[in-house]
Amino acid sequence: MTKKGKIKQLIKDILRHLVIIIMVSVWLIPILWLVVTSFSAYTGRNTSNFFPEEWSLQNYINILNPTSTTVNFPIWMWNTFKIAVAVCIVCTMFAVMVAYATSFFRFKARKPMMNIAVILNLFPGVLSMISVYFILKALNLTNTHIGLTLVYCASSGLGYLIAKGYFDTVPRALIEAAKLDGASQAKTFFSIIMPISKPIIVYTVISSFLTPWTDFVFSKMILNSGIANMWTVSIGLYNMLDRSLINTYFSQFCAGGVIVSIPISILFVFMQKFYVEGITGGAVKG
Amino acid sequence: MKKKLISIFLAAAMTLSFAGCSQESDGGSENNNNNSNNSANNGGENTDNQGGGAASGETITLRVWGGEEDQALLAELVDDFKAAHPDQSFDIQVGVESESTAKDTVLTDISAAADVFAFASDQLASLVRANALANIDSMSDVLSAYSGKSVADVKSANSAGTISTATYKDTLYAFPMSGGNNYFLYYDANVLSEDDVKSWDSMLTKAQQGGKQVGMTLASGWYLASFFMGAGFTASTNEDGTTNCDWNGTSADGYTGVQVVESILGITNNSSFLAVADGDLSNQIASGNVCAIVDGTWDADAAQAAFGDGYRATKLPTFTCNGNQLQQYAFTGSKLIGVNALSENVGWATVLAEFLTNEASQNKRFDQRQLSPSNINAASRDEVKANVAGAASIAQDSFGAVQDVGEKFWDPTKTLGELCAQKQLEIGDTAGIQASLDTAVEGITAAIS
Amino acid sequence: MTTKTKKTNKVSDFFKSLGSYFKSFGEAVVKGDIFVKLSLIWVGAGYARRKQFIRSLLVTILEAAVIAYSVLVAPQYISKFNTLGEVQMEMVFDINTMKNVPNDYDDSFQILLFSVITIIIWAVFLFFWISNVIHAYRLQKMAENGEHINNFKEDISSYLNEKFHITLLSVPVLGIVLFSVVPIFILILVAFTNYDQEHMAPTALFTWNGLTNFINLFGGGGITVTFGYSFVRVLGWTLVWAFFATFTTYFGGILLALFLNNKRTKLAKLWRALFVVTIAVPQFVSLLLVRNFFANNGIANTILADIGFTGFLQNIGLLSYDYIPFLTAPGWAHVTIIMVNIWIGIPYQMLVATGVLSNLPADQIESARIDGASTGQIFRHITMPYVLFVTGPTLVTDFVRNINNFNVIYLLTQDVFTTTDQYLANSQAKEVDLLVTWLFRLTQEYYNYKMASVIGICVFVICAVFTLVAFNFMTGKDKEEVYN
Repeated sequence: MTKKGKIKQLIKDILRHLVIIIMVSVWLIPILWLVVTSFSAYTGRNTSNFFPEEWSLQNYINILNPTSTTVNFPIWMWNTFKIAVAVCIVCTMFAVMVAYATSFFRFKARKPMMNIAVILNLFPGVLSMISVYFILKALNLTNTHIGLTLVYCASSGLGYLIAKGYFDTVPRALIEAAKLDGASQAKTFFSIIMPISKPIIVYTVISSFLTPWTDFVFSKMILNSGIANMWTVSIGLYNMLDRSLINTYFSQFCAGGVIVSIPISILFVFMQKFYVEGITGGAVKG
Repeated sequence: MKKKLISIFLAAAMTLSFAGCSQESDGGSENNNNNSNNSANNGGENTDNQGGGAASGETITLRVWGGEEDQALLAELVDDFKAAHPDQSFDIQVGVESESTAKDTVLTDISAAADVFAFASDQLASLVRANALANIDSMSDVLSAYSGKSVADVKSANSAGTISTATYKDTLYAFPMSGGNNYFLYYDANVLSEDDVKSWDSMLTKAQQGGKQVGMTLASGWYLASFFMGAGFTASTNEDGTTNCDWNGTSADGYTGVQVVESILGITNNSSFLAVADGDLSNQIASGNVCAIVDGTWDADAAQAAFGDGYRATKLPTFTCNGNQLQQYAFTGSKLIGVNALSENVGWATVLAEFLTNEASQNKRFDQRQLSPSNINAASRDEVKANVAGAASIAQDSFGAVQDVGEKFWDPTKTLGELCAQKQLEIGDTAGIQASLDTAVEGITAAIS
Repeated sequence: MTTKTKKTNKVSDFFKSLGSYFKSFGEAVVKGDIFVKLSLIWVGAGYARRKQFIRSLLVTILEAAVIAYSVLVAPQYISKFNTLGEVQMEMVFDINTMKNVPNDYDDSFQILLFSVITIIIWAVFLFFWISNVIHAYRLQKMAENGEHINNFKEDISSYLNEKFHITLLSVPVLGIVLFSVVPIFILILVAFTNYDQEHMAPTALFTWNGLTNFINLFGGGGITVTFGYSFVRVLGWTLVWAFFATFTTYFGGILLALFLNNKRTKLAKLWRALFVVTIAVPQFVSLLLVRNFFANNGIANTILADIGFTGFLQNIGLLSYDYIPFLTAPGWAHVTIIMVNIWIGIPYQMLVATGVLSNLPADQIESARIDGASTGQIFRHITMPYVLFVTGPTLVTDFVRNINNFNVIYLLTQDVFTTTDQYLANSQAKEVDLLVTWLFRLTQEYYNYKMASVIGICVFVICAVFTLVAFNFMTGKDKEEVYN
């Protein structure tokens, strides 16, 4: 390569990285604001400076050692964690079960069922909220974490499409071989399909684990006793930004946001590879 | 054959679930979280003497909702209540529900709401219309038996104004907890004098000289109404929940709605006027840009912190309308504690609600939260009278109107206020203003849903 | 044309199979022996005759349960389904017990809910009952022909083998029926009632009112004058939003992935991880944060005013406020919302695209390069078509998801945006509302369940039409088998 070409290439490279750095900074500005505000000594919203005038750890201390009966962050974390674990186990099982059945079996009701699933997915979830609430109430499960878990899990069978797409790419020869060896379908499922489906299982686990941390509509509706110890993180944090509370709790809200985000970020960064394989394996089929 | 197993599952699970729900056990879910706020007390309380008086041996389970800021106070008052009724064992939980949003939560599922809950008086009509509130007038016997006073005593113990905010169609539906849920003017005496704050004109002129602003929320029917009421306009509700409103016509005092809007625009056109978004008042006070603001007792702390030794409060100023100075009015509001009509232990809930609003409780509430009492005796204490915000709130009540508007009032008036705040209407454009008022009134007076 | 014939085929297929189903039922009833006929009353009869005693017992228990339910539970609801109840709740206070005693009132919502569930149970049982008779007849024939009839153990093992899918699907389907199908039926039915603030169960009754709500929405006049007006506006923005939200993040994500994937990009993994951090912050945290960030008196405005940008906009006449109304004025708010959505959406799409790109047909690209194709040409003719082919279907689902994207709009604009359009205000809508957020506010703040249901049905119809058209347009053929 000529010297001129090299220089041109170098400038191009520098430009390329400059663009990336600018984009990354734009993307991280709000996150940075979240982090720095969480270390602010001022409790409300700082509207004049990006960085706090005075730094403090007080928000973290306050939020982790609750003095107020209504801001009980550790309990909210624990509640949410319990629900998240239950949800991710059940949801993953449901999604994989439905996906396996629709991908590896050809039965008469298969197509109609898949079409019905597509139709059901078109209904906006918020709309069915009030009915879901009264169904739970009829089962006497409102204001319980089990009830909330049930709501998150019950319809998770409808989220089978990505997993099915992944299974569709699994070579059928594997199954045939297992069948010849005399393995039952159930055995094939557990000993052959499950192990090679790691990416899609990781994907489902992560996304279902996140549901209780991000949803506040259903949780607010179902955990409506007003007893703060029952709440999940999302209700609690949302409540902190209530008009009458925002000036007392905004920076604590930020601290809470940071605490919630740390484990999820770590989970994401480490599981990124599986996550990507999972979605794309599924997305190939849509 | 295909779906046989599914159908078995379906039917079995459903049958099970019906078996589960046909037994009435509403309390079941609540018992799961006994060990919440005041579990420490429950232990001792439950073992107390079981008999005595009319009290049964049964533990009475009650749930109370109050605002976030009131939690500690409520827990204390609940303990006092238990101490006052040693013959009866209670399991009382205190939950959070902001007074300003209580109605939304209660109406979603009345039977799941707390037995006793605090709410702002403007929600009374909606709650009553949805049959969510127990009729207090019919509870006189209970109160006589357990709190030693009749409903008439309660009515005479509280100021007439606050009782009227708790009354709907001549029936008392809640106990006044604190008065002064109206708005008035906070100002900074370092910038404005006592004379300056008598009228918007002088106040804005002075503020401009001081390089400060005067703030008020316009994009909210609650605040916007102050101008219209000042000009003699009224609003009221009908039997079916619709609102009567004549803001597009001529008021009893002979002013037209257009003139009122023009007065508002005269204020908003002044560069010293700051139109504050609904709910952003305390933020604006804290920002230090304002020297006066139309706000209520709940922001007293913020105002005191921002204005320092210049912290003052007074009734609302006058505004110029058609060449005359008119006093700005405010909706008379209060905070109430109501009893859930579907509460299982409605009797004890009423007794508790009364207790939480009696003179002693109101004294405590004032000491801890500086909320002006509705109880006449409690309000006559010297420390209450010396309270800057409380005094201003009472002064404003002489220029107050009972709020009697329906659901449909809020959105159209909010938008009308926003139009004024954003100066999208112009002085002199009579036809345009009239059209806006007509549209707003059409929305306000529309049938329910 | 071809699709059309295919469709009619599908429909006729459906009726054909339905016909043959009933035909075999009729045949079973007519030609079956006494036990098959007895199966019409005692569902276990056929099995008992063929010595499948456990199975016989199980289906008998099922039958007994359904009958018990139909006799003991169902009548109190289903009998009132035509009126949705007539006895209003009244409480009588008993001073001796200090408790309220309700009368024997009707709860319209419970009646609706349990009627729907009952009808579903009956429908499922009817299907089971018919299939059961057919199966009993088949067993009879098998016995006549001397074929082997499974014992209970073999039955069980069949559910782990050739019928394993039934085992797998049973529980998830039950969940879906109870928490998706039943609510949707209720939603559809509520649209034909007067369930609103004036008729709130359980303290008041609501009842059927036919098509009134639909007539009101679509300009029938009467009580909701501006509903139709608002519906059109809100629908318009919903579609605009869904279009931009879908395509900006989709192409943005692909471009970003390509950019980071380029082998000249150093530290690609680090950059990717930094982008991923933004999706790891729960959406309600990041959105509520951004809403405060862009508030009228928020930090973004302060900084922009300090560097003179706000003043610049005012000078060139683009701005009539002292601040930039990022989330408070129509137009500005629309743009901000789409921008914020790009912010939270692109990292996710970037992850998807990264995965897809890693499966690029490398040989094709290589041969194209040898043929002297430029990078741009390769991108246009190989990369993009491949990515589009692979992720095309997700575009459709993303679009539908964005039509129903509640979180972004609600968290960014609730309590912040005040409409200045009085007609919208009169029907509780705003310029930035999507149909779902409008619907949410109608139910949560105004308890206007009937109109919310009508809007919900409209949302569904729009999504359904769009999905059908898009899928037909894209391929129309079943890709599934190509891969297997």
